[in-house]
Parts: sequence; C-alpha cells; structure tokens
Amino acid sequence: MAERRKGEEHFLLNLKKLAGSHRVDPGKFSKRVNGRAGFLVTVFAVLFIILIVKVGSIMIEKGDDYKMQVLSQQQYSSTEIPYKRGAILDRNGAVLAQSEKVYKLILDSKLVLEGEKKNGNMDATITEIADKFDLDKKYLRDYINENPTDQYKVIKREVSYNEKISYEEGIKNKNKELRRSASENEGGLDKKSLINDSAVSFESYYKRVYPAGALAGDVLGYVSDSKGRYGLEGFYDDELTGRNGREYGYLTDDNALERTVISAVDGYNLVTSIDSYIQKVCEDKIRKYNEEHANEFREGEPGSENTGVIIENVNTGEIIAMASYPYYDPNNPKDLSMYDDATVSSMRAAAAEEYSLSENEAIDDAVSAELWKNFCTQQSYEPGSVGKTFTLAAGLDTGAVHDSDIYECGGHLTFGEGARAVTIHCHNRYGDGTLTVKQALEKSCNVALMKMGQKIGKEDFLKYSRNFGFGLKTNIDLEGEMVTSSLVFNERTMGTTELMTSTFGQGYNVTMIETVNAFSSIVNGGTLYKPHVVSRLEDQGGNVVKTIKPEVVRRVISEEVSKQMIEYCIGVVDEGTGTRAKPAGYRIGGKTGTAEYSGKGKVDYTVSFMGFAPADDPQIAIYVVIDRPNTSSQEYGTRYACLLCRDILNEVLPYMHVPKTEIISDEERAEQDIPDTASLYPSVSQDSVSEDEAVSGNASLSADEAGPLIERAGE
Amino acid sequence: MSKSPVKKRDISLMLSLALITLGLLIWGLFMIFSSSAYNGGAESADTFHYLRTQLIAEFAGIIVIMIFLTPAGKWMFEFIGSNKFRILLLMAAAVSVIMLKFFGISVNGAIRWYKIPGTSISVQPAEFVKIAVIIYLAGMVADYPILGRVGRFKGYLTLFVPPLILAGLVYVITDNLSSAIIIMGITMLMIFVTIKDIKVHAALAGIVAVLLTWYLSRVSQMEYSADIGYRTRRIMVWLNPEAHLRDGGFQPLQALYAIGSGGLTGKGIGRSIQKLGTIPEVHNDMIFSVICEETGLIGAALLILVFFAMIFVMYLIAARTVDIYGKMVVLGVMFHIAIQVSLNIMVVTGLMPNTGVGLPFISYGGSSVLFLLAELGMVFLVVKENITRHV
Repeated sequence: MAERRKGEEHFLLNLKKLAGSHRVDPGKFSKRVNGRAGFLVTVFAVLFIILIVKVGSIMIEKGDDYKMQVLSQQQYSSTEIPYKRGAILDRNGAVLAQSEKVYKLILDSKLVLEGEKKNGNMDATITEIADKFDLDKKYLRDYINENPTDQYKVIKREVSYNEKISYEEGIKNKNKELRRSASENEGGLDKKSLINDSAVSFESYYKRVYPAGALAGDVLGYVSDSKGRYGLEGFYDDELTGRNGREYGYLTDDNALERTVISAVDGYNLVTSIDSYIQKVCEDKIRKYNEEHANEFREGEPGSENTGVIIENVNTGEIIAMASYPYYDPNNPKDLSMYDDATVSSMRAAAAEEYSLSENEAIDDAVSAELWKNFCTQQSYEPGSVGKTFTLAAGLDTGAVHDSDIYECGGHLTFGEGARAVTIHCHNRYGDGTLTVKQALEKSCNVALMKMGQKIGKEDFLKYSRNFGFGLKTNIDLEGEMVTSSLVFNERTMGTTELMTSTFGQGYNVTMIETVNAFSSIVNGGTLYKPHVVSRLEDQGGNVVKTIKPEVVRRVISEEVSKQMIEYCIGVVDEGTGTRAKPAGYRIGGKTGTAEYSGKGKVDYTVSFMGFAPADDPQIAIYVVIDRPNTSSQEYGTRYACLLCRDILNEVLPYMHVPKTEIISDEERAEQDIPDTASLYPSVSQDSVSEDEAVSGNASLSADEAGPLIERAGE
Repeated sequence: MSKSPVKKRDISLMLSLALITLGLLIWGLFMIFSSSAYNGGAESADTFHYLRTQLIAEFAGIIVIMIFLTPAGKWMFEFIGSNKFRILLLMAAAVSVIMLKFFGISVNGAIRWYKIPGTSISVQPAEFVKIAVIIYLAGMVADYPILGRVGRFKGYLTLFVPPLILAGLVYVITDNLSSAIIIMGITMLMIFVTIKDIKVHAALAGIVAVLLTWYLSRVSQMEYSADIGYRTRRIMVWLNPEAHLRDGGFQPLQALYAIGSGGLTGKGIGRSIQKLGTIPEVHNDMIFSVICEETGLIGAALLILVFFAMIFVMYLIAARTVDIYGKMVVLGVMFHIAIQVSLNIMVVTGLMPNTGVGLPFISYGGSSVLFLLAELGMVFLVVKENITRHV
C-alpha cells in the first residue's frame, strides 16, 4: 500500500509539472464535462424509455397469461381446510363412527439446515422432534442430509392435537428459558440449544374412528381414501362427505391484512335406528355361540361358517340391530387378530377353495372381502322351514287354506304320474298323522305344506312370494344389498317339484333382510315396510336435514290372516318345534327353519329361528340364522338357533321394557340361572300377573339406561 | 435587492430536487408498507416493522442533509475531497471492507454488514465505498484538471485503479458483485466525462462487451448442475427461469407475473396478490414489480419518469456549477442513482440476471437510503453554494 502510494505521489508530482506547462482552460474543461454528461443523460433517457416499453410489452404480451398464473398460484398457495365427515350415531345419540382431527407432521429439511448454518442447532432440533414424536434420530438426520432442499416430508401421521400442542408449547418454553437465562447471565445465548421452531409444521386432516371398535362393523362399513365402503359409510357416502374449504390471504383497501376463509362444509351426521345395547347383546351372544361351539364337529373351525341376527321394528321397518359373524373392526378392516389361528386358517382355506387361489396375498384379500360382506344383506342361503310361514300365510290369504282344514301326513307325498312321479319325504318319515293347520306349522310338516301348496297353485304362490319381497331387493340403506332375483323361481322355471320344495322353503335362495322384513309384514297386520337403518340426517349443528319416515311398500296379507298367523307362530313356540326359543317370562311366536345342502361330498345345514315379541302385540321381529353350524346333526343345529334367539331376547326384552307376562318355571330357572325373585311373593298364580310385572319391571330397570325402545300404545 | 433570474433558476432547481426526493421517499414508504405488511405480520407479528425501520433511516438521512447545509458541513465537504484527505478516505473505505472479515455479520450466507452493538441497526460498508469513490474521483479531477487531457492510459489508470481495487475488495470479501459493478460503473462514467480521448473509452467498452458476450455464450451452452458456481447458475436461471424454479428462478418469475398481471392501470394500491408471501423479500429488490402490479403501466412509467426528472435536475445543477469538485460530485451522485435505477428495473423485468440491487429511495434498506440521502446532501450543498454565489 505504502509503495503504491509513493508511486502515486511521484506520478502526481509529474502531473503538477504537466499542469504547470499545459494550462487547462477551466471553461473548456467544464464545457466538455457538461457535454459528455449531457450525452450520458440522453443515453439514460433512452434506456429508461426502453424500460418503460419493456414493462408495457410484458403487460401486453404476457399479461393475460400471467394474470391467470397469479390466480392459479393463489389457489395453490392458499391452504386447504379439510371437511369433516359426518358422524354415525345410534338411536340414543351414542357415537358409532366419527371423524377426529389429527395432524400430519411435516419436516422441512431446508429450514433445518438454515437453522444449522445460523445457530448450529440441528442436533437440538432433531433430538427434540425425535423425542416428542418417538422417531428415530438417525433416520431424521440422514433424511435431512440426503434431501437438503426438501421442504415437505411427512414423517408422521395421526399426530393428535395434544401431541401437537405439547410439542409447540414445549419448544416455546425451552427457547424462552434459554433466552431468559442468556439475558440474566450475560453469558450469551446458547444458540446450539435453541430449537428451530420452523423445522416441522403440522397439517390437519380427519381420521375416521369407530369408538366402539367392531360394534356394528358390518352395518357401518369403513372408510378408505376418504371414501366410504360397505354398509352405511358406502351407502350414505355422498351425504357423509362434505366439501373442502380454503383460506386466502389478501390486503384490504386500507392495507390491513385479512384472511378470507371459505369454510369447509362438513358432512351430515347419520342418526340410525340401531340400539347399541341391543346390538352389543346380539354380537356378544353370537360370538359366545361361535366360540363355545368351535371344534364341536369339525376340528379347527368356529361354531358356524356364518351367523347372523337381525332385529327389526315390525311397525316401521327400522333395523334395531344387525349383527353377524365373522365380523371385523372398521378401525382396522384387515385386522384378523380377534380370531384364533385355527379360525384364521380355516377362513383362509375356505377362501382359497372358493376362489381357487394359491397366492398368500390374494388369499388375504379374499378373506378380507368375505369379512367385509354383511351376511345379513349380502349373502343368500335356502331359508328352509321358515319359508313354511309364508306358504301358510299365502294359503290363508288366498282362501286356499282354512283354519279348520285337516291334513293327513303319511311320511311322504308322491305327485306326478308314472315315470315322472316324484316322492318327497316329510322329515318325520313315519308320518305326523292327522294335523290341523296350526299343528302342521307347529310340527313343521312338509307333507301338509306341500298339500297346501297344491291348493294355492303355482301362480298365487309366486305372486305372494313376490309380494313378500322374495327375489326383490328390499332397498335397505346399506351398500351392496344382494339381488336374489335369479335365485328364486318364476313362472317359467317353477315346475311341480319346484313348487313342492318351495312350500317348505327349499330350492330357492333368500337374504336374511328379505326374510325378516317379510316376516314383519306377517305379524304387523299385513303391511310390508321398506327396511331402513338411518332414521334422520342432521347437519353438524344438530339441525335435522332429512327425516326418513317408515315407507310402506305394499299390503301383502289381510289383518285377519295376520292375526291368524300370529296365533300359529305362538303355537310353534308354545308347543311346537320352537319351544327352546322361549325367553323366560315372555310369550313369543316364531318359526324354526332348517335347510339342507349337499355339496362337496358333505351334507350341511342352515338352521334358523324367526320370531316376534311380545306375543300379544308384536313389536319386534328377530331372525337368527346359523349358516353351516359346526354340529353333528341338524337337530342340534336347530336347537342352537332357538337357544341363541332365547339368550338374546332374555336380555333385549327387559331392556325394551316389555312386561313379563309368563311364570318362570323351575326348569327355566335352573337352566338359565335366573334368581328366584318370584318366590318372594307367597301366592304366585296365573292371576298374579301384575305382581310378576312389578318384579320384572324392577329387574329391567337395572338393565336399561336409555329409556324405552318401543312405546306401546296405551302405556 | 431583487433576485437575479439566474439565482431564481438555482432556487427552483433546489426545490425541484427536494420535492422529487420527498416524493420518492413517500412513494417508497407506501410501497414498503404495502408490500411488507404481510411479511412483517407473518414474521414478527408487527405489520409496521419494515416501515418503522425505514422511517428511522430516512430521518437520519435528512439530518445528514441538514448537516451538509451548515458551514461545518461545507468545510467537511471540502476537506474530505482535499488533496490530503481523499487518499485517507479511500483507505478508510478499504479498511471498512476488510474489517468485515473480522467484525461483520452474515445475512443469507454473505458477510456484508456491520451491526452496531446494542441496536438492531446494521450498516453496509459497500455504500460507504461508493461515496468514497465519488469523492476521490471528484477531488482528483478538480485538483488535476490536466488529467482530462493526459493521453491514453496514464490519466485513465490514475483515476481507474484505486476504485478498481476497492470494487475488487467489495466483490471478494462481501461476495457482492452488484455493488462492485455499481462502483465500477460510477467510476467509468465519471472518467468518461473527464478524459477527452474517446478512443480509450471505446477500447475499454469494447473489451467489456467482448468479455460479456463470450461469457454469456459459454454459460448458455452449459448443462445446469449444482457443481457450477452460483453466479453462473444465476445467469442460467435468468436465461430460463421456468426451468429452475426451486433454485432461484422463482423470485424473478414471480416478479414477471406481478408485472404482467398489473395491466395498464394496475389492481389498485394495496391490492397486489403477489406480495402476499409469493415473491420472496418483495419489499427489497423486487418492489418495482409490486408497483407495476398495483399501479400498472401508468404507475411504473410515472416512477421511471420521476427518476429521470431527478437525474435531469441533477444534470442541470452540475452543468451550472463552476466549481469542478462540486460539479463532479453532483455528476457522481447522478450516475450512481441512474445506474442503480437501471440495474434494478432491468433485473425485475428480466433483462438482466438477478443481482440484488435495490431501487433507490423506494426499496427497503436503511443503510442504502441513509447513504443515498447523504449523497443528496452533498448535491444540496452544491446547489446552495450556487445560490449564494449569485447574490
């Protein structure tokens, strides 16, 4: 520097000398400077004009494009507000399904590294994130180092609101503490421990939660990729789905910062007619049955291939409970952990056989697909003897059968002539002898029913079948109801033999929902309702958006016939095949059913009991189906269906405040383990029903928390 | 005593310059608030943060102008340009840049600032270097008008080399190419008006043009990768911003979007969409794009015309100044402002790669506006002297 300066001074001295010899005319010099500066000012003027033209040309040439670009980016850069999927509630408001707000945890590598550059706090930041969210430190560090410019990496899902707040408050307090101690100690800020608060961000979304686990899973369905599948989730997907909102930022005219929010429109809540308690009773009993009877006949298999129970309000078509086995948990629809290994492998074997699969993954998928099917609405089977109920009702309603008719059963019936003669046996091969109509149903006599069928004739039989809804969808509000139209006979396909087998419920297929709904019309005075699960739609504020009223499909039989049928069905439980279905203290009616399949070299059964309660004023219909029970004979199977029905009604009827009208026998006490409260009353007789009621009233109070399910007229 | 028409003209020039300056400052404050309120609010929950900081710097600048208008200011003005002092001034400027190595603070990866302890004020020595160069050149030319007639390179080098060393320091130490370019730009224009021999200027301009063309043609053929220097990358981004959105293409492209979406009359003051966090650091170098978006072509053209008016008024002042030192200082300041305005608008409109030059008096930046006002203070002093001369 010094040298340079020395050189410069030397040069300046020379300049001074020069200045001495050549006098500079200040006027001339000044003029040149002015001229040159003027030239430059002109150059800048030209440049500025070019710039104005450039701005103008950008606006003219690209203006429209860029305007669009700006607007479209705006949409992109604004934040989306997710909608909340509607909840599903039971009839008492208990939550069956709801959406909970949770967060995605998003890592910003770039900002972490900027923090590292500025404060050297990457370690502290990563440690804090890893500790709070239970993540692997090494993974985070590696990810950041390998993707230094990435600003959006979801590192954890389903972070709860509490976790989010705890993290945010935690780092705020820690940093505050650091700053405070730095200002107190004058020791300077420990920048390395200062946690980078922009390292992660949270993005909210909703997660579908089924608080009661597997309860009513088949009815509810599940949600995958924010789309409802199966059950109510699938059927009411549009109603449950809302619309995403958006948040935009802008400045107002007076330069205030404003955010405009186009709120998300949340989906509607569904209020169903399902009663969680009754639903739970049904599911518990079904599960208990299948566990108790596992391995009974066939080793390594549960108590049945399928078991289903539906309870329907006969006067409205509302479904109060719909349960089936096997079941799944919609929180985790592919989870099979509730089944033991043997059950899982038998389910896998069945699926592999049915769809002839060999790959494990395909089998898993098939097992899941089978599980997600609701046995009550999506699978069909032969109804068996419960079908006799509909034959008899048709006979009475057409006038072909009268209460006073007498039928003779010799153990079989032969019809047709010569080589085309067909003989069909009664299940009692020795014959039931002489039977009244009532007895025919009570004893479930095939021959008597076939004879009735001959009187009804093919045309009326098919007409009534259709009127009851067989072969037609019930249009219940659950996704994927099975269509059985090809599984029933029509005028063309029904010959004499087909008519004969149909009279006692074999040869055609039904779904459970069809059957119980048809049975409801028999006991409710003859009106067929459309079954439904949802009773109303509400918005998130609880305002009713839509009420789903009972919908009459058609009148099927007359009130007189209905009354008559009720009598007969009571007879079945009182003294016929269904005595085991009688719940203690109650009088009910019903019909047992057994259908036989023979296929794959073995004989299998579908056993069922279809009933109503209470006897004097039917309120509910219950239908229990055990598909391919794991039992050695059909007789045991039928017994199990009745017992399952009894066990369910034993709990459901008191809960529903149905008064007990019957004396509980000692046998029942012993068998069903009922405490002898009646003996507290010295003179128990048929006349002391009112006292008995008082007792049962007390008993039912404890079982009941939600109030009466069905309000009986006159009460 | 009646005022002479000559004196009247000087007074009107002074008033014009004052009005234009004030107008620009107020316009700038409006735009800074309009464009930074969102970011200020988002970053520190203080929508007035940027506005307040800028106002403080501007008040300080106006106080500096006032000081220049006192007799002490006049003495100081002459002293710093004097034969003895100006070398010292250059050395002080060099030291201020070198000391950044030890005391400077780093912002966005580059060390360009001193932080005044105990405050949030930071100062950029590059701004100081610009003033020092203007004063050095003006002083040299005033003391040795013969320089203007020295043939070929001798005189040229006397004037050219010290600023070149300073510009080199600024570039190497603070990694601030734009300031270095501005320093050399001021130097070359000041030399251009001084040295008579046009061939020297032509030769130098030719060399610069050839180098630039060669460099650009090379860059345009290169494959983009993270290995090449960031300045080269910036040029590639400039050539094709859409292809490099994640690597610096975003800001200039968004600025273009803002300009394009303004139309003839703009969206209205305060109605820019792009400033809402879309353009990074919009209140700094890219503020012209928000002006275009909000006030359209009319506003943008008006602003450019006001800048030209400012330059033209300064030219008139310089032309009417007899004292060579004063004349050269006014021209230096004029060149500084003209170059900076041109560079900024060329960057924003995509005519040049992104360099990081603020728009004088408008862009946010306390250091910049304070030194610019100090330069104007010297211009005002010269006008004041002109007025008193014509009593």
